[in-house]
Amino acid sequence: MKQSVFIVDDNHINLKLICDVLSYEGFTVYSAEDAETALSVIIDRQPGVILMDIQLPRMDGLTLTRILKSKPETSHIPIIAVTSFAMAGDEEKAMSAGCDGYLTKPIDTHTLPVLVRQFLESSTSNKNSQS
Amino acid sequence: MNTFNEIRIFDQQFYNLLEAMPDAMVVTDRNGQIILANTLAMELFSYTKESFIGMTIDLFLPERFRMSYAKHRADYIKHPHQRTMEAGLELFGLRSDKTEFPAEICMNHIHINNEIFVLSTIRNISERKKSDEKFHALVESVPDAVVIVDQQGNIVLVNSQTEKLFGYKGHELLGNAVEMLIPKRFSERHVIQREGYFSHPKVRGLKSGLELYGVKKDGMEFPVEISLSPMPADNGALVFSLIRDITERKQREELRRFELEEQNRRIQETTRLKSEFLANMSHELRTPLNGIIGFAEFLVDEKPGPLNAKQKEYLLDILSSGKHLLQLLNDILDLAKVEAGKISFVATKFSVKRTIDEVCSIIHPTAVKKNISVTVETTIDPDIVSLDQQKFKQVLYNLLSNAVKFTHHGGSVHVGGGAWSEDRFCIQVSDTGIGIRKEDIPKLFNEFQQIDSGMTKQFEGTGLGLAITKKFVELQQGFIQVKSEFGKGSVFIVVLPKQFGEIITP
Repeated sequence: MKQSVFIVDDNHINLKLICDVLSYEGFTVYSAEDAETALSVIIDRQPGVILMDIQLPRMDGLTLTRILKSKPETSHIPIIAVTSFAMAGDEEKAMSAGCDGYLTKPIDTHTLPVLVRQFLESSTSNKNSQS
Repeated sequence: MNTFNEIRIFDQQFYNLLEAMPDAMVVTDRNGQIILANTLAMELFSYTKESFIGMTIDLFLPERFRMSYAKHRADYIKHPHQRTMEAGLELFGLRSDKTEFPAEICMNHIHINNEIFVLSTIRNISERKKSDEKFHALVESVPDAVVIVDQQGNIVLVNSQTEKLFGYKGHELLGNAVEMLIPKRFSERHVIQREGYFSHPKVRGLKSGLELYGVKKDGMEFPVEISLSPMPADNGALVFSLIRDITERKQREELRRFELEEQNRRIQETTRLKSEFLANMSHELRTPLNGIIGFAEFLVDEKPGPLNAKQKEYLLDILSSGKHLLQLLNDILDLAKVEAGKISFVATKFSVKRTIDEVCSIIHPTAVKKNISVTVETTIDPDIVSLDQQKFKQVLYNLLSNAVKFTHHGGSVHVGGGAWSEDRFCIQVSDTGIGIRKEDIPKLFNEFQQIDSGMTKQFEGTGLGLAITKKFVELQQGFIQVKSEFGKGSVFIVVLPKQFGEIITP
């Protein structure tokens, strides 16, 4: 199965940007605009990496991260927090919720694909070593 | 007449002596009849010698005093003694024209041929009375409470302001120890202080901040200011003290302090709200910027398809405007953090030289475009410091990017580093740029104050870089200095401690 990227972002322009940048780089991309939808799709599709916006309506990204990390079927999926929070302590909050990486908006269209590829490769090698 | 027989008792010498006395004198017999008087006495009462001699001395007193004086005189004859001139004994003399004058009378007696005679000295004290009145009027005119105290600490004089202030009548105060006007808990100490004052008397003006208290008759205490001055008097020194009730002023000060605290609290709250607002605004503005910068970058990279030259140029303009806006937001956010006190410094050990090189490599493309040479030379030894590296980089970047920005094509920028003191080092960034006018240097570190608005078009910037740089440096207990010659170039010197910030142990 081709490694896919799942993107959660409630701002559809940002969502489109990340999706398009990654699609043009050849990634398979799925997305959701809220945490509740994201949760069911992620369990179902088993993406290779998740890009998680922190500020979401209703359930926020940090809560979703905690849920995903607590479920055995999703706990292995690396999660990169993508946020426009830039106050000190935000990164720590994301990491302590269980995120594996942290990106601030605006995203750099050049470094994003590189980072995503790195996470996919490491999760694949983890999986391989586990099996 | 009997009178003339009596006169013969006194010889001429005695008469001459009487005449030479500086005061008015009369000699009376046991019945109070005048036997002899000097010219001053007759003049004092406006009588001729003929009518004066032989009169009863009681007639020289206003009628209202005669009864009591006759008794007084009789008592005196029974128990003769020397009675000196005494203040406080209100007596008046009556002239032949029935006018009165305040008098003081001093008496002594002599025995001649077993007969007692009384010598009286009479003094017109109206002048002294006048000056006493003047003194009292003066004391009354003082707007503060006046209390005059003798060496034993007894009150000898008060004015009506004192009566009003303390709620006592004058007679309740006079003769009593001054400690009655002081709260009990201070009185013991006051006695010691008072005695000390009399041994080294000096003028002490009204002073605030001494926390002195007075106590009223009804026991109420109130804050006072007191001045003391020694006052020479016949029987030892007195102390003249002014007492001022400062209750109202204290209340005003209290109110003012409260207002200031309240104002301060409001300012802090406003600052906090402002910082919070700025942080939120920066955050909210970042979201749409993500789309602008991201899509522009995406298009410039020609991922969705090829662009013509003009399209590419305009997209690059969108991109650079977007990035400028982003820099502004980051700077505002940094300033907001500094002002909200939310900035923290996390120390790591790093090489100054290597960090300078890293920042130079970020600046490099811009410098190359303007053909500006950037050279680095540091003599910091050892080269390792323990500071917040990210903030150190930001300071360096701000200074270096400014140096390149304000230096003309073909100029040069130099970064120097060296020891400043035992535990501090300095970084110097010098350029051959446009320089800064002397009068502009103080404005240099203000927010949004890029020098000379006419130049902003030529040199784009946020106007926040140096403000942040200065704050970062000062928060790390360092400082920044500028030397510049207009048209020739500038030197920015940053002095920092070799160690600063929280060390996070992994």
